[in-house]
Amino acid sequence: MKKLVKSLAGIALATSLALSVNAASLKIAYDSDPVSLDPHEQLSGGTLQMSHMTFDPVVRWGKDHGFEARLAEKWERIDDNTMRFHLRKGVKFHSGNILTANDVKWTFERLVSSPDFKAVFPAGTEVKVVNDQTFDLVTKAPYPLILNSATYIFPMDSKFYSGEDDKGRDKGLLKKHGDSFASRNQSGTGPYIITERQQGVKVQFERFADYWDKKSPGNVDEITLTPIKENATRVAALLSGGVDFIFPVPPNDHDRIERNSDTDLVTLTGTRVITLQLNQERVEAFKDKRVRQAIVHAINNEAIVKKIMKGFATAAGQQGPKGYAGFSEDLTPRYDLKKAKQLMKAAGFEKGFTISMMAPNNRYINDAKIAQAVAGMLRKINVTVDLKTMPKAQYWPSFDERAADIMMIGWHADTEDSANFTEYLTACADADSGWGQYNSGNYCNTAIDGLVKAAGKETDPAKRTEMLQQVERELYEDAAYVPLHWQNLAWGARKGVQAEDVVNVMNFPYLGDLVVSEK
Amino acid sequence: MSLLEVNDLCIEFPSRHGIAVAVKGVSFTVEKGEVLGLVGESGAGKSTVGNAIIDLLSAPGRVAGGKVTLSEETISGLSSEDIRKVRGRRIGFIFQDPMTSLNPLLTIETQLTETIIENLGFNGKQAFERAIEMLKSVGIPEPELRIKQYPHQFSGGMRQRVVIAIALAGEPELIIADEPTTALDVSIQSQILDLIRTLCKEREVGCVFVTHDMGVIANVTDRVAVMYMGELVELGTTEQILQRPEHPYTQSLISAVPRTDVKLHRFPRVEYIEKAETKAIDVKNHWLGQREDFGELKGDALLGGKTLLDVKNVELKFETQSAFFKKNRKYVTASDNVTFQIKDGETFGLVGESGSGKSTIARVIAGLYKPDAGSIEFAGRDITHLSERERMPFRRQIQMVFQNPYSSMNARMTVNDIIAEPIRFHKLAESEQKIRQITADLLDHVGLGQKSGIKYPHEFSGGQRQRISIARALATRPRFLICDEPTSALDVSVQAQILNLLKDLQDELGLTMLFISHDLPVIRQMCDRVGVMRYGTLVEVEETEKLFETPQHEYSRKLIELMPRVDQLSRAGLDIEEHREPALA
Amino acid sequence: MLLFLFRRLMQGLVVMFVISLISFSIQDNLGDPLREMVGQSVSEAERQQLRDELGLNDPFLTQYGRFITKAVQGDLGTSYFFKEPALDVILGKMPATLELVFAATLIIIIISVPAGVYCAIRPNSMLTRAILGISILGISVPVFLTAIFSIYLFSIELGWLPSYGRGDQLVPLFARWETGFLTSDGLKHLVLPAVSLASIMLPLFIRLIRSEMVEALSTEYVKFAKAKGLTKTRVYFLHALKNTMLPVITVGGVQIGTMVAYTILTETVFQWPGMGFLFLEAVNRVDTPLIVAYLIVVGGVFVVVNTLVDLIYGLINPTVKLAGGNA
Repeated sequence: MKKLVKSLAGIALATSLALSVNAASLKIAYDSDPVSLDPHEQLSGGTLQMSHMTFDPVVRWGKDHGFEARLAEKWERIDDNTMRFHLRKGVKFHSGNILTANDVKWTFERLVSSPDFKAVFPAGTEVKVVNDQTFDLVTKAPYPLILNSATYIFPMDSKFYSGEDDKGRDKGLLKKHGDSFASRNQSGTGPYIITERQQGVKVQFERFADYWDKKSPGNVDEITLTPIKENATRVAALLSGGVDFIFPVPPNDHDRIERNSDTDLVTLTGTRVITLQLNQERVEAFKDKRVRQAIVHAINNEAIVKKIMKGFATAAGQQGPKGYAGFSEDLTPRYDLKKAKQLMKAAGFEKGFTISMMAPNNRYINDAKIAQAVAGMLRKINVTVDLKTMPKAQYWPSFDERAADIMMIGWHADTEDSANFTEYLTACADADSGWGQYNSGNYCNTAIDGLVKAAGKETDPAKRTEMLQQVERELYEDAAYVPLHWQNLAWGARKGVQAEDVVNVMNFPYLGDLVVSEK
Repeated sequence: MSLLEVNDLCIEFPSRHGIAVAVKGVSFTVEKGEVLGLVGESGAGKSTVGNAIIDLLSAPGRVAGGKVTLSEETISGLSSEDIRKVRGRRIGFIFQDPMTSLNPLLTIETQLTETIIENLGFNGKQAFERAIEMLKSVGIPEPELRIKQYPHQFSGGMRQRVVIAIALAGEPELIIADEPTTALDVSIQSQILDLIRTLCKEREVGCVFVTHDMGVIANVTDRVAVMYMGELVELGTTEQILQRPEHPYTQSLISAVPRTDVKLHRFPRVEYIEKAETKAIDVKNHWLGQREDFGELKGDALLGGKTLLDVKNVELKFETQSAFFKKNRKYVTASDNVTFQIKDGETFGLVGESGSGKSTIARVIAGLYKPDAGSIEFAGRDITHLSERERMPFRRQIQMVFQNPYSSMNARMTVNDIIAEPIRFHKLAESEQKIRQITADLLDHVGLGQKSGIKYPHEFSGGQRQRISIARALATRPRFLICDEPTSALDVSVQAQILNLLKDLQDELGLTMLFISHDLPVIRQMCDRVGVMRYGTLVEVEETEKLFETPQHEYSRKLIELMPRVDQLSRAGLDIEEHREPALA
Repeated sequence: MLLFLFRRLMQGLVVMFVISLISFSIQDNLGDPLREMVGQSVSEAERQQLRDELGLNDPFLTQYGRFITKAVQGDLGTSYFFKEPALDVILGKMPATLELVFAATLIIIIISVPAGVYCAIRPNSMLTRAILGISILGISVPVFLTAIFSIYLFSIELGWLPSYGRGDQLVPLFARWETGFLTSDGLKHLVLPAVSLASIMLPLFIRLIRSEMVEALSTEYVKFAKAKGLTKTRVYFLHALKNTMLPVITVGGVQIGTMVAYTILTETVFQWPGMGFLFLEAVNRVDTPLIVAYLIVVGGVFVVVNTLVDLIYGLINPTVKLAGGNA
């Protein structure tokens, strides 16, 4: 009898029908659910998490910051401006249609028409269909990050999305607000199909039987995603066995989840940097490099990481984290109160001054507490801070107005690349190009901007790395902004949920590959 | 063998401050078919005795000694379940206020049949039939219809009939009636008294009739027990108690009863009750006398004997049912074409039963209501439609004293502040020191003594509070005082004192008064002229003595006829007004 | 009666109109809805264009006029987040909230009536002191703490009850109403949120019933009922309790209306998919049409609850006639 069972299992494994033997269901609680089923409507964590479940990208990030083949089984650079991708054969959409290069072209054109996604590719980038199985990504100028950008191409079923829906609208219509066919219906190639969705309450996924990746170890055939906004409730849901997998886990609860014999904590060093910007247009003193340096030296960001973040962050001295092209080991945090005081004295501000500061109180982990700590630290160099913290809904309009002398901003590079930080946070503000859109410090150094621009066209990785490292170094020495830390990521999982294998710093776990063993 | 025997009954109320003895060694008997009056003023312990008999003392009261037997069976000290079986079945109880003794949320049927079922063991149908019978016997017309109704659909008198029906429903041997007519109008009162008396005599039921009202005692009781401070001071036949009281307390109590037969100049002092020494003030030289000569009212309108207040054709309606369309709204007429004059220096009485519109007129005069039509002239000036600002001087000159002084005082203010408030408001004194002096004088003058100024209203008795409110009314040096049932809530001896005080003040200060009361004897004692009101109309205005001797209007005649007579009261030592001397009996 | 209902309807409309005006006029201070709708790299120019499309750049009166015109036709705007008519979204979530409030109300009634009556009848017993003591404590503990503590105890430590949501065994009743009352799983999910919500009001109700009962017991008609020879049970539970319930219904009705507002906290903690939770989310997302619609609907709920309370009051109290404004 035992033998028979074993051999049956053997057959099952051999035929990759692992699902039927130890298929598992998984209950997930995130802090939010996807806003829309349309992968191009909003560039947010929720949308990307969904896209990796129900669509599949052309290529995706691997564990080592490299790229993994997904729908494209291989790719090669044809010339400085062109990258050729070869699609897998016989990949099926949920609708049963077969994936072709035309679907990729259709999807790409839709993507670059989306206000949220179009900045992912340099303007003018095109998809050229070579044949059903092959397409080229062609840029106007040499573009080193073409593969980074290609991780955003989740081919949509162009036949499924063509024609008119029952309200007479184009099914492919991309609507930023309001109702559209694509925001309620899906056909992708991903491992999961959405069977039920109550927005803000739950999303129900079922494994796609014809999923192309038969080698995937994943054995989860049913997923229920419940958004649980309240941290304490989410943690309680995991601890009580109500759900199997949660994100995020607030720093205060790490111990509880680790200590609990039924749950595991999975953490990764994150890529979102938290910084402060010193507004040179509002405060004359901030134009003086010594004052900016004094402030950077006065803020003990290692203490913030230890005390406020409970070690759940990495103190930063630069914008991009380790693993990014511009990262240099020696650009470390530089808390030194004595030096800060000397710098203030040298700049003639020994007696200090009073400035205003704003920070959100529900956007980043412990954002308001961090701001309060910073205000306390600055008092030691006689800088009195008039701090105001507010919910993000009110904070962003204030940020757009540059309403305070110091403002907090956190940034995650959509391209997973160093240059992106400078483009948005520290480049000279330019409404036309969109550079410096989030530069509330009004720091402007054209030389640095030039270097970033040059790096944007440099396809030789070594040279590009050198250029971006120089950018970080100059910003560091110039004290263009105040780096605080990179927020870590933490998931909680029931024992048996092998989450470690599928999570990543971008926070879109590859749940299709998740293995869950019985409780 | 008597029906009820109460022997040496003692009742105590233990509290944090020690034990207060409410009733001390009270003994009396009641025979079958006899009505025993239990009379006394508030705090005398008469109701406590009634409650103690059926073990309904309010907490923490307890019977400390003595024995109660009913038909030779001891009913004191029974268990709560045993005494419950006595209640309703053997002893019926009638409470003072029919408005509150019926449950407002239950039909008369429920309240009556539950009593019958509980006490006589009838089934529902029998109980219903009996209930109808009971209602018929207490004189409720159309009992089959009325039994389905709720208490609020009955008038006060009808409700008291229902209460009596309930009390008799268990066919008890004894009825305890605790002030059963005090809350009722005169005409209804006499009907109810007749009813109780007839029922007792017919059914051979004994009755303990608790009351403070000598008029009622005279009409209904066979014997009277007089209580004072928890003790039974005198027990005798009704005739003896009223005509030949022996105990000094009984004597002073009898003398304080407002008489229906003669007008007294002053009530005699009731030393037993409240010791209040009013201090005479030389008014001519005193602040009180120095009326700011009506700066705004010049001319001969002020001469004595002329008309001070002229009420002309006043009409006022209240909406009782609002509706979107005017024609659907319902109104009650509170005053219908009311016209009368009050001369300077006189006391004008307004008498009538509840709802007759007397208080409405008072409020119209005081400016609290605006009449729909008609006008009020004060000292020759039309004050009907004045603005708040223009009315100010008249507010000062027209003051009111209400029935319930406590509810018109801010409990968190000292008496000094209460009295000083109108002085400050009208800026009648130039300094705080002056104000203090005036309030002290006023307190002396109304017989409270200036030391009482630092106390709060709740520290005073009802009579004392009424003195405070009179002092407050005087604080603006008014010319015209409206007294709206000023003594209705007070005991008879306290009433006598307050009425004396009002008379004294009027003599000294030359006040003009509008005196409103439902109590005909009081009206007779207080007023120079009287208006009789009914349903918002003034049916008759006449000089007091003429009205009482020869009433013209049919309604006035009926009212005077129905008022409980205490004609046979002792006249020893009374200060009868000389100028109108009717033949003494 | 009809006139009464008509008046109430009119009052309700006025209330909702005023609420709409107020909430509409403060919506600019709630934040910028665009931020929650677009990714970080979308430029200011594109955001402006979206604002124009949404009509957010129009003058206040234009926007409000447009809103009212549609509102009269039953359209309270379209939620930015749900992309559905805001009213539909709210009505879709309403059953969950109503079930929660109903369950909490039930708990309040079942506990507070016996407890309040007991405290009134036995003012000096140990149990009375205990009940009143605990109720003081209950007033001062915030609902958030009660909720978290009960989750910790009953879900995590004891594992008796689920910690969040309504469960997945809901039974469709009619239209979009799915009830959790018909399955044991649904009821289990209801326990903790309902108890937490009830805990806010429970002390108040116990004290209210106690004091009203004490008052009723001291009335003449209760004394008269005793004098009639009735049993204690009948005196307490017919004569006294019926009268106790009158003020309790009045106050209680208002409080139950207020409870709809309290659901915001409770629903958030328990991830209860109702209107309160929806509202908090809408505030976080600056989903202004949804916020405005919610406030209007809750205003309407208040009017409805008050009307119901008055109707019930009229049923119990024979002296009240439901006629018009001052009824």
